[in-house]
Amino acid sequence: MNLDLLIPEYVRNFEAYTPSRPDHLLQEEYGVSHLHRLNNNENTLGPPAAAVRVIADFSPDLAVVYPSGDSYDLREALSRRFDICRDRFLVTNGSCEAITSIIKAFCQQGDNIITADKTFAVYEWVAEFSGVEARLVPLRDYAYDPQGLLDRIDARTKIIFICNPNNPTGSYWTKQVLIDFLEKVGENRLVVVDEAYCEYVEDPEFPDAMELMERFPNVVSFRTFSKMYALAGLRAGYLTGTRDVVDVVRRTSVTYSVNVQAQMAAKAALSDDREHIAATRTMVKQARLFLCKVCTDLGLETVGGEGNYLMIKVPINDLLMYRRLMKRGMMVRSMTGFRFPGWIRVTLREMAVMESFAEALTEEIREIRNVRV
Amino acid sequence: MIKQNKQQKNASLRIPLSMPFLPLAVDFAGKGARGFAYTDKESHSLELAVEELFSFYVQKVAADSAVELEVEDQGYRLALSISFQMANPDMRAFNLVWQVNPDSEESLELLGPMIAARSVSSLRLDFGNDDRITLRMTRNRDYPTTQVAALPPPNTQGPVRLVEPSSSDLRHFSAMVSASGAPFIPGFLASPGMAADMLAAGHLNAILALRGDWIIGGVLWRPLTDSCLELYGPYLFNDDPDDVVLTLLLDEAVGRISRSRFRGLVRRQGQLQGYERFFDLLGELDLTGISGAATRSTYYYRQLREEGGGVVYCSGALATFLADQYNRLCLPRQLRENGGEQLRLRDASVLAVELEYPRSLAIIRPLCAGKDMAANLAAHLDLLQNDGINNFMVEINTGRSEDIAFTDALEATGFVPRLLIPDAGLGDLVIYEHRVRKQQS
Ligand SMILES: Cc1ncc(COP(=O)(O)O)c(C=O)c1O
Repeated sequence: MNLDLLIPEYVRNFEAYTPSRPDHLLQEEYGVSHLHRLNNNENTLGPPAAAVRVIADFSPDLAVVYPSGDSYDLREALSRRFDICRDRFLVTNGSCEAITSIIKAFCQQGDNIITADKTFAVYEWVAEFSGVEARLVPLRDYAYDPQGLLDRIDARTKIIFICNPNNPTGSYWTKQVLIDFLEKVGENRLVVVDEAYCEYVEDPEFPDAMELMERFPNVVSFRTFSKMYALAGLRAGYLTGTRDVVDVVRRTSVTYSVNVQAQMAAKAALSDDREHIAATRTMVKQARLFLCKVCTDLGLETVGGEGNYLMIKVPINDLLMYRRLMKRGMMVRSMTGFRFPGWIRVTLREMAVMESFAEALTEEIREIRNVRV
Repeated sequence: MIKQNKQQKNASLRIPLSMPFLPLAVDFAGKGARGFAYTDKESHSLELAVEELFSFYVQKVAADSAVELEVEDQGYRLALSISFQMANPDMRAFNLVWQVNPDSEESLELLGPMIAARSVSSLRLDFGNDDRITLRMTRNRDYPTTQVAALPPPNTQGPVRLVEPSSSDLRHFSAMVSASGAPFIPGFLASPGMAADMLAAGHLNAILALRGDWIIGGVLWRPLTDSCLELYGPYLFNDDPDDVVLTLLLDEAVGRISRSRFRGLVRRQGQLQGYERFFDLLGELDLTGISGAATRSTYYYRQLREEGGGVVYCSGALATFLADQYNRLCLPRQLRENGGEQLRLRDASVLAVELEYPRSLAIIRPLCAGKDMAANLAAHLDLLQNDGINNFMVEINTGRSEDIAFTDALEATGFVPRLLIPDAGLGDLVIYEHRVRKQQS
């Protein structure tokens, strides 16, 4: 059988993402007895208490029947929370599914999407394996460059993806920058604001894309329960837009993609997040201060802003640094895949782990420098 | 950017694999090459190769076999493949030095494939599914090697820009590299027209650094294997305090390829100061050129993505070597002792040889393990050495048990493992070098 004859060219040339192996295998291979994950920007405080209870009390009976096909109760809760009509939410299997669905819904071959070159990779990946051109605009001073994005727009541009705050640099557009941008973009294409990390941001100038939809009906917001709400393993995210936009995206979304436990836990998480968000922000702030100081003392450059992560420039190639830290039980994200060769990204976690990480990093850096001298 | 050429660039022919059709096969190669505007000399070397290979393999196949020939113009070279099916092949027939007995003059008459190899730029044999055998050869266009180009004045001023070169830019850049007297200029850069045509064919990528109107440096890369790229440079024509331009070029190059299907990047030229910011050091190899002069290549490597690790089965000197290297490079591998698999070996082993006469280099790769592995390796060494080859490398893929089966035979014939080129534990390559021969030469 010649599969090549069956595969579209844009799929043939696409390399599938290789997820990391389960911890027990990684531990065996790197010869370590523990592994701290600082690679995926998870919130290690755990989910809000109400969500923890829902998960703990989850009845196997519920696993027998299909979940609500349109996450009805969760949308109802979102509606109450944000004072937006329930039909303007689409709950997805993590926001990765929202990215896929919106590109499928609006783009065909010959169309393009625009985003930054150094940002969350999934916008680019989904476009590529769907036969849609991904136009990548270089960051300017580690941030999305509004003019650069505008310059790449043409008649076939369907969606512009803005990651706000940006993963991995932590930079963000203020409300004014976003409004100026939306005014220039006009209404003939969608602007997706991926707000995966918005709950981490305290700056009053930080925009809320949901609020802008009245004035700019082409704005779509993506949010997730994977980050601040610590439900990454259950897979729930949501998209908010005008009713018209949501109706279109719903056509290319698979019903029942969000499981029942995820819907229940997400709903509970929303109902009980005030203290949780405050505690998480405190933890991240403390970890950031601490790690920045450690890096300054070591003479390592850092880049960070908002979000629970920090980029660190290391004196050796980042993939080797990744492996060396793995041998010390510390799993970070190497940044070559984000087009930041020579950098690692570290999730900001509870102090005990940050201290162990700092120790491992310090030893590595000293070792590397000693060998070189 | 992908350049698409809608023009028809290939031609194919399917005929019986039997002697009466030899002239047609030879004509197809020659006229095909001329049809794509290759010179008489270039076309003739393909004719010669096809004649040798066709008449050699005709003797080994069943009477009613068919053969497919295909030529493809890739701009800077013509690729020709000869493909046929062969049930229950006599494996020995696929060794370059089939049945060679160094004491017997007449066995040299059986060297058709070697003569073919010498007349083209590369020759490779692939075993496909369904007993399909494909001989792939390429013949590069002959390019003039020299072209004068002025180098930038020593201290150009102003901001540096990085650009993706056009073919003409790259032609000019190649000439500048030669003018700069850089050591380690690969063949395709030494012929400026060739680099430009490779770029146009999508077989080479490059980024140049410009200051004002001057090209002040550049870096190039192209596929080395299906999973690994090779990087050339950076070549810099001005002083570069604090490695500013070098860093810009390397970071941009790695950034551009980091989301491709390639898993690794190799650089094997001279030493690179401050390499550790960009690469892992793999080791060094010395090559003795035709003139007897030695050059040393330093092998650097970097992964382009995090890998999953893997299990590698091996034993003996290879196990010791690998344990050392995996540990030094912090690669997640579990080494497991293999043993006693020799029992199920076929009689005859097969080796593929890639010959680079200009570098006096033979790269040998196991295709099939067999009971005669050591004798087969020794026969290859003898024959190729008589043919003027000074350097022998054997490349084995630790992910293939057929390759691993060769390790004892390699040790017995004087090969030692020198370098590891990691590939995610899926197929880490080990390069063996022949010590004894080197000392003799
Ligand atoms: C910016 C951004 N958007 C979206 C996601 C996807 O999250 P999920 O699919 O878990 O909701 C991530 C996860 O890393 C992210 O960083």
